[in-house]
Amino acid sequence: MDNQEVVFTLNEELVRVYADPAESLLTVLRDKLGLFGTKVGCGRGECGACTVLLDDQPVNSCLIPFGKVEGRRIETIENLSRGEEYHPIQKAFVEKGAVQCGFCSPGMIMSAHALLKTNPQPSLQEIKTAISGNLCRCTGYKQIEEAIASAAEKKSRR
Amino acid sequence: MSYLKALNLRQAVALLRGNPGRIRVVAGATDLSLQEMPQVALDITALPETTGLETADGFFSLGAALTHSEIANSHPVRHKATALTEACASIGSPQIRNVGTLGGNVINAAPAADAAVALVALGAGAVMINLEGKTREEAVEDLYAGFNQTIIDSGSEIMLKLVIRPCAANEGSSFERFASRKALALPMVNGAARVEVVDGFFRSVRLVLAPINPAPTRLLNLEEKLQGAPVTEETYKKIETEAAAEVEVRASLLRCTAQYRSHLIGVLAARVVRKAAERALERK
Ligand SMILES: Cc1cc2nc3c(=O)[nH]c(=O)nc-3n(C[C@H](O)[C@H](O)[C@H](O)COP(=O)(O)OP(=O)(O)OC[C@H]3O[C@@H](n4cnc5c(N)ncnc54)[C@H](O)[C@@H]3O)c2cc1C
Ligand code: FES
Ligand code: FES
Repeated sequence: MDNQEVVFTLNEELVRVYADPAESLLTVLRDKLGLFGTKVGCGRGECGACTVLLDDQPVNSCLIPFGKVEGRRIETIENLSRGEEYHPIQKAFVEKGAVQCGFCSPGMIMSAHALLKTNPQPSLQEIKTAISGNLCRCTGYKQIEEAIASAAEKKSRR
Repeated sequence: MSYLKALNLRQAVALLRGNPGRIRVVAGATDLSLQEMPQVALDITALPETTGLETADGFFSLGAALTHSEIANSHPVRHKATALTEACASIGSPQIRNVGTLGGNVINAAPAADAAVALVALGAGAVMINLEGKTREEAVEDLYAGFNQTIIDSGSEIMLKLVIRPCAANEGSSFERFASRKALALPMVNGAARVEVVDGFFRSVRLVLAPINPAPTRLLNLEEKLQGAPVTEETYKKIETEAAAEVEVRASLLRCTAQYRSHLIGVLAARVVRKAAERALERK
């Protein structure tokens, strides 16, 4: 198909990418840019494995036509850790046993990251709502909720 | 394929005019990405005309490209068009609400589209602009042309905004849905009401349930019967037993039997009227 130049901010860097604008952002991130942290689950908005932040808000990258990101800010899971140093939310997921197979984790963590950016001390209900678009087949959610609560608590203590 | 982002309304209309038969308006693309993307996509989510949220001449004017999250977080809407807040907050998931739009929800015309149900109960109007740059307003309830279809041609028209008369002090509105999960589940039944209460009696009731027909369905007979009815438990009981009587209820292979759906229609109809009436009384 006809490629189009799209200029946007990806993980705090301005990038210029030629791709089919009807392609999903998810496909471009993985297949063109080699960012495999964002997972492909259902491909139809129902699992949240592909969650990235668009201007700080969690969205399903499988449903975003690539053309839409022109001029916008995208943040993926790759932006969280600093080399070997995990992000506090990632640490909390490890500590609380919130990762089993790990397939949902990048999406869950991005939803949590978006929540804590705007709401540093969320209630349990707010945590539940924030991850309500992310499916986990393994953990039963409890440990994930605890991990997010613990990351929030540590952040507020610092 | 090309993806064009209109920067102003005049440019958007010119692009529509210049690409007949190939172009289609795109908003959040949560529905369109799962259908077929057009040859030329015209993204209208960056226009001031489709993203404003204001009160003008006593009416709420809500940009058609506002996202469900934006609507759900608006204080004036929560205060005076509560049914819409509740509907938008119930859609899909946070990820879907952050991109899906009000206009897209109406024009995609799913029979139980949550925001559309609330808009019809509130008596909302929709304003469209055509290729000549002329605008027209239609009641949302009159936009439906059949299953998953409206009279709006997204190849030659842009929905700019939805207009709603805010609830007065003696009015209230409410929306509820019943689904198998709290997120990412389409409703078995959803419903919304807007009521006006005077001296303990309903002066007017708008009561909408779905999915029944291709369009959100007003229970017109019941609405009429409720005019002048007292705000009492007995009236709620009557709504519960009579709501399903005037409509033909279909079974859904995926979601529920017709019998269960009839039951839910009664329960939800009574609930939304009750909640709307409580709000009307609280506000005084
Ligand atoms: C996983 C998932 C869950 C969902 N859950 C729900 C749910 O619980 N409840 C519910 O009601 N919906 C749900 N939806 C449906 C969808 O998200 C909503 O209908 C949404 O509001 C559509 O808006 P959009 O901006 O994404 O529309 P788009 O996909 O951009 O457009 C939809 C249609 O409207 C046209 N259009 C859009 N805006 C305009 C305009 N301003 N002028 C002219 N034409 C226009 C487009 O051409 C297209 O035909 C869900 C969708 C997904 C993928
Ligand atoms: S892959 Fe995007 S929501 Fe499932
Ligand atoms: S850890 Fe396996 S899907 Fe969540």
